[in-house]
Amino acid sequence: MDARLRRVNKEIADCKNDKSSNIKIDLVDSSPFHLKGSFPGPQDTPYEGGHFEVDIVIPEAYPFQPVKMKFITKVYHPNVSSASGAICLDILKDAWSPVLTLKSTLISLQSLLCSPEPNDPQDAEVAKHYTTSKRSFDETARYWTQIYAGGSGSRSKVETKEPSKDEVAIAGLEKAHVDQFEALGFERSKVIDVLRRLNYRGANVANISEDRIVEELLK
Amino acid sequence: MSSDYEYSDEDGDYYYDEDEDMMSTQEDGSAPSDDEMDMDAFGDDFKVPQRAARKAYEIEHESLPQSAVEKLMTSDVDHISGIFGADASTAALLLRHMNWNKERLIEKYMDNASVVSVAAGISRPSRTSLSPSAAGPERSQSTSSSARSGGLRRPTRQTPVPTPKPAPFVCPICFDDSQTAFSSLACEHTFCAGCWNAYITSKIREEGEHAIRCMAEGCALIAPDLFVRTALAEDTPTWERFNELLVRHFVASNPNLKYCPYPSCTYTVSCPSAALKSSLTTVVPSVMCGATASPPHKFCFGCPIESDHRPVICGVAKMWLKKCRDDSETANWIKSNTKECAKCQSTIEKNGGCNHMTCKKCKYEFCWVCMGPWSEHGTAWYSCNRYDEKAGIDARDAQSKSRASLERYLHYYNRWANHEQSAKLSVELYTKTEKKMEEMQITSDLTWIEVQFMKKAVDEVEKCRMTLKWTYAMAYYLEKGNEKELFEDNQRDLEKAVEDLSELLESPIDAEAISTLRQKVTDKTVYVSKRNEIMLDDTAKGFLEGRWSWNVSVEGFD
Repeated sequence: MDARLRRVNKEIADCKNDKSSNIKIDLVDSSPFHLKGSFPGPQDTPYEGGHFEVDIVIPEAYPFQPVKMKFITKVYHPNVSSASGAICLDILKDAWSPVLTLKSTLISLQSLLCSPEPNDPQDAEVAKHYTTSKRSFDETARYWTQIYAGGSGSRSKVETKEPSKDEVAIAGLEKAHVDQFEALGFERSKVIDVLRRLNYRGANVANISEDRIVEELLK
Repeated sequence: MSSDYEYSDEDGDYYYDEDEDMMSTQEDGSAPSDDEMDMDAFGDDFKVPQRAARKAYEIEHESLPQSAVEKLMTSDVDHISGIFGADASTAALLLRHMNWNKERLIEKYMDNASVVSVAAGISRPSRTSLSPSAAGPERSQSTSSSARSGGLRRPTRQTPVPTPKPAPFVCPICFDDSQTAFSSLACEHTFCAGCWNAYITSKIREEGEHAIRCMAEGCALIAPDLFVRTALAEDTPTWERFNELLVRHFVASNPNLKYCPYPSCTYTVSCPSAALKSSLTTVVPSVMCGATASPPHKFCFGCPIESDHRPVICGVAKMWLKKCRDDSETANWIKSNTKECAKCQSTIEKNGGCNHMTCKKCKYEFCWVCMGPWSEHGTAWYSCNRYDEKAGIDARDAQSKSRASLERYLHYYNRWANHEQSAKLSVELYTKTEKKMEEMQITSDLTWIEVQFMKKAVDEVEKCRMTLKWTYAMAYYLEKGNEKELFEDNQRDLEKAVEDLSELLESPIDAEAISTLRQKVTDKTVYVSKRNEIMLDDTAKGFLEGRWSWNVSVEGFD
């Protein structure tokens, strides 16, 4: 039997037998080399209660070359691209070791959610948000978890909110700020876009003059 | 034959010498030439004996095949292993870690051997903070064993590390219980031979990596060469690739060495006199590797811009090319590739041949370079290489000033591009010349060997046009003054000679006059070559003496 196939089969079987880790690996199609992993968001983080899915592609040279992983579920995290789900993690690149398994890599992803590394960001905008205002970042991350990762908690509350509020929360902004500039006659989506770009969040609000924002909005 | 060499110590005499050699190839082909130059092939059939005295415009360099570089590596490794009392593998890993800087390695190693050994991937970091008693030359081997027995088995990380082999050991990578051969580095992370092989092959082949770490996660130990060799087993091509990677790393770490940039060439050139950046303001390190290729692998040791930009130094050549890229493009394409007949204004594109043009429409004869009537060029006051600064009269007018500066640039650029264009057409010229040579053999009783003078002349013209090309780049930046005048005198003499020879090559073959033509071409070739030599020599000496001053600030000059 092909060494790669044997190894992947064993890894999938091991993962099935191990109930304690809460890590699941499923086939996407008939090929054992394209998989879908999933794990629960770690406790005491904004990701708690979410269920995160990861796309896994096993390369030809596996396990001597690293697996290719990216989030299917949208995650608000400095080291995960908010658009594509691409992950910035050393063991998926040069620190990969052939003894690492799909399970151990997924566990590493789980712990990456616990301890973001904003100094080595994948998504610069999210990382900026994280460093300027951790509290506001947590709120947005929690909100994303609720919407995209099926997080429990205030799900019912989310559904009753008006859709425009969602946009503001997803961007990690304050509704009052958006309303303030919208009242000046700018389009709501444009206001959100500019404020997000300027990182108009938390402590940063004091550093950005309103004139500057209006200037940007007029561009 | 040997007396020939002593004699050629004098520049001038040597020159003619070379030409005679060229004519009588058979004897010289067997001349005892120096080992280093043995592979140098000048053309296909001529073996020119090694130049005994190095010219000012030539740089001392040595071409090393891969085996010679490996020998250098081995001697460094032996040196270090002798000092540290370590085995060759360990010494090699230490050297590679320090980028082959022996002095720094010795200093660091004597300072704290264990730290260096850990950083070089030879031994694992010991848990107990580094005890000074453990430091010592013998450490690299002794600690790795003592560390092992010293309870370091426990994994330092949360990584799954193989438990010490229980009876039927299963490789933690492939989980194949039929495997029987296992191995590990000093860290005792054990894996099966098949996995090691696949891992090392993938590292070497896919990633071009020569420092191969242990497969266990977070383990920084690096596989010594012997381990790699054993793991690769019968896979000789990969082992060779591994050695090539090591050589490349060694060459890249040593400023005296450069890998030949030609595709799939494995030669290295050693050129210590051009190793320092500062030396590039005084020499133009045009070197050639030892590969027997046609054309030979010529390249510049100091920069990647062009294989041979003598006589101009790298900094100036780079500046010039940048300027040409910025200022020219489309507008200048027309300016440099086409010209208008001074009489009837029809647009003309030159696609080969010499600079003596005859307009197809009005039959006006003119010089392609200066557009002046050709009648002036046959006489002694050939002056088309020099920029005529008559624009200085109305220099008070700012507008005309800027136009003058553009005109000035275009003057040099046009001449530069003109020679470049000629070089691009050289293939055509060669085929044309070949036809002529055949024709000569048919129409006269000259033998194949005897008509080679044509090819030699074309070679020389090509070579000189390259020199001329770069002299215009240099002249553009040279500060006005006596030095520049002299430079331009040399330039003019060379250019005139080259144009004369070019024209001779273009002239139709007349069966009766072949012997005269041959004599003329041969003489002219010698003369042109001589002029080229003077041009290169004088410029190179000027750099060494710091004679040239620039009208802009040049990298490396104050």
